[in-house]
Amino acid sequence: MKKIIFLLEWTSIIGLLACALWVFLKLPIEASQGFPQKIMYLHVPSVITTYLAFFVVFVFSIAYLWKRELMFDQIAKASAEVGLVFCALVLITGAIWGQTTWGTYWVWDARLTTTLLLFLIFMGYFLLRMSVNDRDKEARLASVLGIIGFLDIPIIHKSVEWWRTLHQPSTLFKVDSGEAKPSMPSELLYPLLATIFVMLAFYLFLLLLRFQTEKRIDTLNQLLAETQD
Amino acid sequence: MKTRNKFVIGGAVILAVLIALSVQGLQEMTVFFYTPQEVLASPGKFEDKTIRIGALVQKGSVEWNAQAIQLSFKITEDGKKFIPVFYAGVKPDLFREGQGVVVEGKMKGQRFEANQLLVKHSEEYTVETEHKKNKEDYYKSIQAQ
Repeated sequence: MKKIIFLLEWTSIIGLLACALWVFLKLPIEASQGFPQKIMYLHVPSVITTYLAFFVVFVFSIAYLWKRELMFDQIAKASAEVGLVFCALVLITGAIWGQTTWGTYWVWDARLTTTLLLFLIFMGYFLLRMSVNDRDKEARLASVLGIIGFLDIPIIHKSVEWWRTLHQPSTLFKVDSGEAKPSMPSELLYPLLATIFVMLAFYLFLLLLRFQTEKRIDTLNQLLAETQD
Repeated sequence: MKTRNKFVIGGAVILAVLIALSVQGLQEMTVFFYTPQEVLASPGKFEDKTIRIGALVQKGSVEWNAQAIQLSFKITEDGKKFIPVFYAGVKPDLFREGQGVVVEGKMKGQRFEANQLLVKHSEEYTVETEHKKNKEDYYKSIQAQ
């Protein structure tokens, strides 16, 4: 475990640095937006990471309700925490990008509103955890909210197709007559894929780190409870 | 009345209000903007109400008065029916003819008076070879701005 965390840590540090250099020094300027398009290399990887982080919450919440294994709840909690940070990053980078291209930091269109909703649901997720003292009850309630919260993600992803929004449809997941066709040239696309890959390594690093801490906290609390008995 | 029943009734009222509010909110959220066709089809419905219209900027219709900081242009969906838009404010960087825009404001007679002009951008990204060659020029040009 220690070795994996160490490896992921350095992969993400070196990877993020390399991606930043690639994006700012090597990449051509996008034709219609110019320089501000580069914020995409932080915004989109954060989106994918948020999706994955809350998917992990979803899976391990179901697993906890099924098996009642404390470890599953620890993983769900750790992933929700990291997901919340990346979700905040999505909202912040999106606002900055929006100001430079659309001319506004925020509008209440379907894409932005459902994304904010996701953020608020998982803020509530941690408030819920804090308000319950019983460890098993906390895990059960949080699992239910974690499962419901994840269901917002398909809505977020499809919002730009279902409703009229200011936000443009997906570039990366564009499908043309049944075939996946991202609508950007490879010289802009490859660095994006690389940044996504590195960001996922960074997510995994944070997840494992937080999971370890959660495990220690629970073990410590159990020991404390035993000595008090 | 038992305390439990009070809670049930109170809870039901709160829930009903919440559902009513979210349905209304959802309707507003899902129709972020109207199209020119919808607005032109029922002028009475939209007269003097703050609305958003999303459409394309008609080519050759843009008039920019830099002295008075006034922008006027026509928006259209199909290139047949137009709404003239008047906007007193700075022209956004990415505002171009043929570009998708969302304007917020009111219909005043035949003209739409916008107090906010948002520029949509497409999901298509391209690289101009010219930009690639003259990357240094580009950086200089944005620094000069």
